Amino acid sequence: MADPDNRPFAIRQYAPDQLREALRRMYLIRRFEEGAEQSYMRGLIHGTMHLSIGQEASAMASCIELSDQDKITSTHRGHGHCIAKGADVGRMFAEFFGKETGYCHGRGGSMHIADVKTGNLGANGIVGGGIPIAVGAALSAKKLGRPDVTICFFGDGANNEGAFHEALNMAAIWKLPVIFICENNKYGMSTPAAYATAVPNIADRAAAYAMPGVTVDGNDFSAVAEAVHNAIARARAGEGPSLIENLTYRWRGHSKSDRNRYRTKEEIEDWIAKDPILRFRAELITHGILDEAEAGAIEAAAAEAVEQGIEFAKQSPAPSVTDVTRYVYAEA
Amino acid sequence: MPVEVILPKVDMDMSHGTLSAWHVAEGELVRQGAALFDIETDKAAMEVESPATGYLHHVTAKEGDRIAVGAVIGWLYAEGEEVGPAPAAAAPAPAEEPAAKPAETVSAPAEIAAPVAQTDKIRATPAARKAAREGGIALASLTGSGPRGRIQGSDVAQALAVYRQPAASVAEWSPQPGPLAVSTRGGEGVPLVMIHGFTADSQSWMPLEKAMGRARPLIRIDLPGHGKSPRRRIASFADLARMLVEAFDDATRAHDQVHLLGHSLGGALALAIADIRARKLTSLSLIAPAGLGPEVDAEALTGIIRASRAESLAPWLRRLTASPDTITDDYARAAMATRRDPELRAAQADMAQSLFADSTQCFDLRPALARLETPAAILWGREDRILPARHALAAGSECAIHRVEGAGHIPQYECPEPVARILARHLAGAEATAG
Amino acid sequence: MTTREISYSEAIREAMAIALDSDPAVILMGEDIGTYGGAFQVTLDLIDRYGPERVMDTPISELGGAGVAVGAALTGLKPIFEFQFSDFAALAMEQIVNQAAKLRYMLGGEASVPVVFRMPAGSGTGAAAQHSQSLEAWFGHVPGLKVVQPSTPEDAKGLLLAALADPDPVLIFEHKLLYKMKGPVPEGAYTTPIGKARIARAGRDVTIVAGAIMLHRALEAAEKLAAEGIDAEVIDLRSIRPIDHETILASVRRTGRLMVVYEGVKSYGVGAEISAMVAESDAFDYLEAPILRLGGAEAPIPYNPDLERVAVPQTDGIEAAARSLVRGEV
Ligand SMILES: Cc1ncc(C[n+]2csc(CCOP(=O)(O)OP(=O)(O)O)c2C)c(N)n1
Ligand SMILES: [Mg+2]
Repeated sequence: MADPDNRPFAIRQYAPDQLREALRRMYLIRRFEEGAEQSYMRGLIHGTMHLSIGQEASAMASCIELSDQDKITSTHRGHGHCIAKGADVGRMFAEFFGKETGYCHGRGGSMHIADVKTGNLGANGIVGGGIPIAVGAALSAKKLGRPDVTICFFGDGANNEGAFHEALNMAAIWKLPVIFICENNKYGMSTPAAYATAVPNIADRAAAYAMPGVTVDGNDFSAVAEAVHNAIARARAGEGPSLIENLTYRWRGHSKSDRNRYRTKEEIEDWIAKDPILRFRAELITHGILDEAEAGAIEAAAAEAVEQGIEFAKQSPAPSVTDVTRYVYAEA
Repeated sequence: MPVEVILPKVDMDMSHGTLSAWHVAEGELVRQGAALFDIETDKAAMEVESPATGYLHHVTAKEGDRIAVGAVIGWLYAEGEEVGPAPAAAAPAPAEEPAAKPAETVSAPAEIAAPVAQTDKIRATPAARKAAREGGIALASLTGSGPRGRIQGSDVAQALAVYRQPAASVAEWSPQPGPLAVSTRGGEGVPLVMIHGFTADSQSWMPLEKAMGRARPLIRIDLPGHGKSPRRRIASFADLARMLVEAFDDATRAHDQVHLLGHSLGGALALAIADIRARKLTSLSLIAPAGLGPEVDAEALTGIIRASRAESLAPWLRRLTASPDTITDDYARAAMATRRDPELRAAQADMAQSLFADSTQCFDLRPALARLETPAAILWGREDRILPARHALAAGSECAIHRVEGAGHIPQYECPEPVARILARHLAGAEATAG
Repeated sequence: MTTREISYSEAIREAMAIALDSDPAVILMGEDIGTYGGAFQVTLDLIDRYGPERVMDTPISELGGAGVAVGAALTGLKPIFEFQFSDFAALAMEQIVNQAAKLRYMLGGEASVPVVFRMPAGSGTGAAAQHSQSLEAWFGHVPGLKVVQPSTPEDAKGLLLAALADPDPVLIFEHKLLYKMKGPVPEGAYTTPIGKARIARAGRDVTIVAGAIMLHRALEAAEKLAAEGIDAEVIDLRSIRPIDHETILASVRRTGRLMVVYEGVKSYGVGAEISAMVAESDAFDYLEAPILRLGGAEAPIPYNPDLERVAVPQTDGIEAAARSLVRGEV
């Protein structure tokens, strides 16, 4: 290259509009989850919730290159993946509020949030449940001659499920276009990855299945984007799967009933200081993609969209109780 | 399948009736046998019972309407049965049915002829079945209080309690007004008029009716103080015979010719009728007829009349049959159930007093037998212990005598098949001769 | 033995502590049962009292975890394995159904698998389709397993101690909505016999068989019916396999009416088993009405709270069904 460019990968790779949109979605994820947390506390949301606040770069940078034809499988901590993939926050709130206008018509809630039309095959209540499904989606793409790739999100805890190992092996032997993205937030619920997993890095597992494995700073938007970009290129080229480990951290408890007995306040504060959104925003400003005012406007717009989404959800109708068995089978 | 409600023919020469009142509103539940509506003919007003238990829908007749006999005026739907558009009437009965062919009609006093069973299975709870099995009671004889007429264990318990409770004995009874009860069953051909024996009733023809199959119309007459007939004071056999002739005339008005069948005392009465109504009769059949000699097992008759509970009735009933096994406890209980009314028993006791005083048949029909012109047959069980079969020997040369093997005094109950065959041949033969 | 009021989860914890104290072979295994105290805080502080050697957090590996517990039980340990939600036993079916249940038999009685699986079950928490199931009937179908379902704190403790004393694999279905319920619990060690139902309320008009949370709904319904003069007998099933034939049949002989209330999907469930058991027995002859099953809807548990409510039997529904049964409307 004639002009050595030492700007971060993302700045080099993506158009300014794309980058601004990525920042907007990261703010949308953050504000959405804060809004969900507020609504939960007001009793508008039933059940429990797993918030991904602090992990937004991992979700957004993994999805930035994906089209609606590309698929993702998500996890119980899936709000960020869903928004990054392009879902509407109004319909997401509607789902959380159990409304008929929600993405799952009020049947699924937070833990099963999905948007099949934008290629999100769904969050999953079963740890590791989405991993073989992602491999199946990649098998479809390959057999049906479609160029799509599938990104499979899962946590550090999930890599100890048998499904993970069985699925990675199959993806590798059949060279399927799937990218396994482990969002290593240090804990599976309360259990440290360092305790539960025999290898130091989850990416090390890749060696067992003869695929590339990389560990990246999951709070560095550009680092994640670059690793995923390379894996997608490999997948689209028919060379098979890759495993990427994004090191990140969830600021909130595992779920709404976590007493945070397994980690310290200091640890949490350290990670809050590594806010992936502020980091990305600063990077964009540094490289002249936007200025403070524009960034502020993006942030405000995200907050505004969340407000509207909540309003939409509140106004939406609830499903009829007589429809309790609807969607169990295809309708005749 | 919903059950049709039709405007029934309740009078012999009736082609139309006026619906005077509904007892059940549209959509309401009515139990089988409960009053459903009233009709008026030019002769009488009559209450019509519901043919089934169900919800009344698709009512087409309102009060005051004049309606052709057989017209469908509503439908009864079972619980949970979907009420769609009104179904087409199964068999629209012609309005002008010849009076000679009464369908299932009602005669005075109101009594619908034995209804055709709607299904052969009885709806009963397992507990009811067990109680009935153990109590020796036939479920078919009970009415269920449960949903859709299901027989509950409590229904059986109640019935058993009634059977077991000793009936009070009263010597006092009061006569009742009204004509003798006649029940009919529709069919084709020359009707058969049937007169049962002492202490029995028209129900006792059931086994024979089954064995004969559904062919010719039947006209059953209940003796006074028996079955559904009113209680009457009977001064003598002649008195009784007069009542029967009157009832016979009323019941057969619509027919040119009938066959006549009588059992025991009913046989004596049939003979008396034949004596004065010979021209109306195609044939005469007598099963162990009374009146052909003085002897009678009066002890058995008194025993039956006196019995106030099934246990004391059963041994006497067993005298009636060749094989005691034929009379089950169940049968005895059912028989006792029909005799529970102490006034009925008292009336029968008085009747026995005038007819069988001093253990003797106080009436002699041998002269009538000798005069008989109607083709006649006498059937007698070989092991009859109530009336001696040798009395049949009084018959003349034209009268057939059949000794029924394995039967006692009631061969039509004990051996209905051979009796039905004998009767069928006899009636057919007589019809051939007459025609 | 003195008795005091403690909660269902405290009672279970107390049973585990007694077991850990009295038998060095007992270990606890499960996901987040240590520092976290278990997803429903049942093990709570046992890690502090017995240490990580006896209270072992497992990786999120249900098949492996359950299988390791089976292997350990086969060879001298007595593991109490907690599934975080009983739904996740689906991931471990192989080890539970093909291994634990059959090892004794396949080895001709030469081996024993004294493992206990704790199974938090049931709906009502808004956790939707994959965290709310009532799968006890699945396991009831497997010879070699024992399946119990305590409905009171007293039985939660007694059945756990009985399960531990039992030489065969026992699955204990604990209803999540009962964890906080308080009730009298005797101090010290005692067992509640496996396979024995309990007449929770005597009555003469109808037998209602229920377990876990449904027992409480049935009792509540029975109280309401009592005000109308309907006297329901409520049987706490307690044990699904083996099932207590005699208590149920004797009750049906007395009342002549049977209703089975359970949270699992209605078809092919506990209700079918109990209904068939009565239909096949002499108690059939005492029935005065059809047998009624009140079970879960033929659907996964929905997220929406109103849908979730109608998806499983509730007190008002039990009350109405029992009333129509007794009044002879069915
Ligand atoms: C098969 C299964 N086992 C256990 C659980 C309970 N559970 C839900 S999330 C979770 C921790 C998952 O950890 P990880 O995969 O690291 O994801 P994270 O929550 O950290 O995003 C557990 C144990 C589950 N939902 N499914
Ligand atoms: Mg994690």
